[in-house]
Amino acid sequence: MNPFRLDRRSFLGTSAAASGALAADMTLLDALQNPATAAEMKRKQKSVILLWLAGGASQLETFDPKPGRPTGGPYRAIPTSMPGVHISELMPKMATRMKHTAIIRSLNTKIADHGGGSDLMQLGRRDEPSLRYPDLGAVVARELGSADAAVPDYVSFYAQTEGRGSAVGQAGFLGARYLPMFLTDKSKPENLERIASLSDLDHTQRAELRDHLSKRFARGRETSAVGSHNQAYARVRGLMASEKLFDIEQESQKTRDRYGPTQFGQQALVARRLVEAGVPFVKLGRGWWDSHGENFETHLELVADLDHVMSTLLDDLSERGLLENTLIVTLSEFGRTPRINSSLGRDHFASAWSTTLSGCGVKGGAVHGKTDVDGNTVAEGEIGAPQLFATIFEAVGIDPAKEYHVGPRPIPIVDKFAGAVKQILA
Amino acid sequence: MAFDPTKLKVVKDLGRQDILFGLARRPNSERVFVGSSDFKLYDVDLAAAKPEPKPVGEHGSYVTCVALAGEGKLLISGSYDCKLNWWDASTYKPVRSLEAHKKQIRSVVASPDGKTIASIADDMACRLWDVASGKLVREFNGHDAQTPTHFPSMLYAVCFSNDGKLLATGDKVGRVCVWNVADGKKLAQLDASGMYTWDPTARRHSIGGIRSLAFSPDGATIAVGGTGKIGNIDHLDAPARLETFDWQAGKSTLVLSTDGKHKGLIEQLAFAPDGSWLVGAGGGNAGIIAFYDLKAGKIIFQDAAPMHVHGLALSESGDTLYASGHNKLLVWSLKG
Repeated sequence: MNPFRLDRRSFLGTSAAASGALAADMTLLDALQNPATAAEMKRKQKSVILLWLAGGASQLETFDPKPGRPTGGPYRAIPTSMPGVHISELMPKMATRMKHTAIIRSLNTKIADHGGGSDLMQLGRRDEPSLRYPDLGAVVARELGSADAAVPDYVSFYAQTEGRGSAVGQAGFLGARYLPMFLTDKSKPENLERIASLSDLDHTQRAELRDHLSKRFARGRETSAVGSHNQAYARVRGLMASEKLFDIEQESQKTRDRYGPTQFGQQALVARRLVEAGVPFVKLGRGWWDSHGENFETHLELVADLDHVMSTLLDDLSERGLLENTLIVTLSEFGRTPRINSSLGRDHFASAWSTTLSGCGVKGGAVHGKTDVDGNTVAEGEIGAPQLFATIFEAVGIDPAKEYHVGPRPIPIVDKFAGAVKQILA
Repeated sequence: MAFDPTKLKVVKDLGRQDILFGLARRPNSERVFVGSSDFKLYDVDLAAAKPEPKPVGEHGSYVTCVALAGEGKLLISGSYDCKLNWWDASTYKPVRSLEAHKKQIRSVVASPDGKTIASIADDMACRLWDVASGKLVREFNGHDAQTPTHFPSMLYAVCFSNDGKLLATGDKVGRVCVWNVADGKKLAQLDASGMYTWDPTARRHSIGGIRSLAFSPDGATIAVGGTGKIGNIDHLDAPARLETFDWQAGKSTLVLSTDGKHKGLIEQLAFAPDGSWLVGAGGGNAGIIAFYDLKAGKIIFQDAAPMHVHGLALSESGDTLYASGHNKLLVWSLKG
């Protein structure tokens, strides 16, 4: 069930949204072409793009290669632009951009099934029987979004059918307001378009009339209900007008070519458009990495896609002055076994694996933690999901020590008040 | 039929810690050279009571393929390190090392006269080399660098015809090219795309591809080995697939699949010396060996191999099979 699935007819059957929303949204759209406005937004707005490598990407074929070891597989390690830091030869483009990226090689998250691992790595902890927690996107949307935003707070793409059940967003106790706009087989949201029979002028005039009537009603009355009502209409109007953000045809052919023809590349371009317009959290689900058989062939395909798309995203954000305010995270539900099975595959493995953080708040080129010579265990700097979440929050200026309250009960934003990995933070 | 495939039995089984890939057999002997996941190349005398693999030399990555050429005096190995290395087959001294390809080398085969070798790699080129000088003789380019869905393609399989006049190459998406060795002309292009699975919906990547090729002794038929269409591409979860072509007519003549108990890839193919049967070996989680009667259009015998097979060689008479694979080196007899 898509929480943002809007029924146009019932919405348009009432009076429409606040007039300011359209103007605000158009300003955001214009900002895409306006460097001064983009710079202003850059100053104020931080965003996170999560590259969710669903199914479990192999750390050994990406950010923690073990060349020459029995567990290492056939791919070699290559030097990067940061002295002493090596990554898999499958990532030559990222190797030249490591100044933007910090690697954590010491995740031990213990849960090696898709469902449990997904829950843990998206919530930063496990749900309690009586309490459902918000996921990373919901918390970032709550902390970095604004109540009157004319763009969505949290957009999540997940095109594959495999693993989709584990990819659906969870707002938990924060409430449905912080559920994602969840896009599956299409890269554009449904039901946001204005119906063809209604002109934009009519649509705007309806909004103005509704605004005028609600202001007159509110005059002399102390009521939050009217304000909330107005806010909701403004938000819906904004979401409707943000449809163009999902349309990569708005970009030049050169830019589209740069991101490439794969669906992941095209969605990454949408993600850039979204964060540029002020969307605080975008999740790009790119699956399916569950390479029990043919691990090396699978990673040859998928890492090539990741390498190109991630590099392009870093370059594009950097050129637009947005990278210092945009954090890109690569994360899976777990990594893959050092042991190579008889199908030349690797299986699920949560004991010693890797993640990366790039851009906003990150000390580029830093490496935290270390696995043993064969990658079987964490040798140094072990962290779990809570420390990773604390690090992500701190990188984008969210206080990891913050607490929410569910009734009288304080709920720390990060499980067990875990500390951030300071050495990879700028 | 000189020997009965249904009498197949293991007569030697050498356990290993590593994964063994390509295998080349010294003619009229029990000695094989085999490439390993430990980056080394080994010489193994399987006639010994306790075979002791002797390291010949080393590469910078998995040694995927080996070929004996130059009247059996030279050994050529290929690797994911993109290099072809020449070795003296008796002294193990390195003869030369070439940066032969831009991407990982998947296979190298020697021509029947031993004067040339053909190598293939994921740069999608097939290159013909003069064994004596190491000079590039010719290059064959007939395979696309990318799959139709814009991912890097792979070139897995190459073979010579018995008379040495033809070469066949096969890639990930199921394209077979037949080449005239003498002038480099492409003689035929065949579609074996039943070997390739692109999953556009559930997992958005691909699996499979042509993993083995063999010309029939008369050169009229090409046998193509791989796997069938896979539903869940997390695994090699389909029966092993063999397809044959009348390459001159450009048409598929036969498709045979192993039963549901034997799933995976046909990694190696070899015709019996008299052409009476064809053997395919490979695997998925478990190993597979299958014998085909192409005239009758049926599988004579199929069974689980003790390991996923990556390399295979037949004795001159066809009564013995030598196989390398996952953690194992093996000898099968067909003599009952």
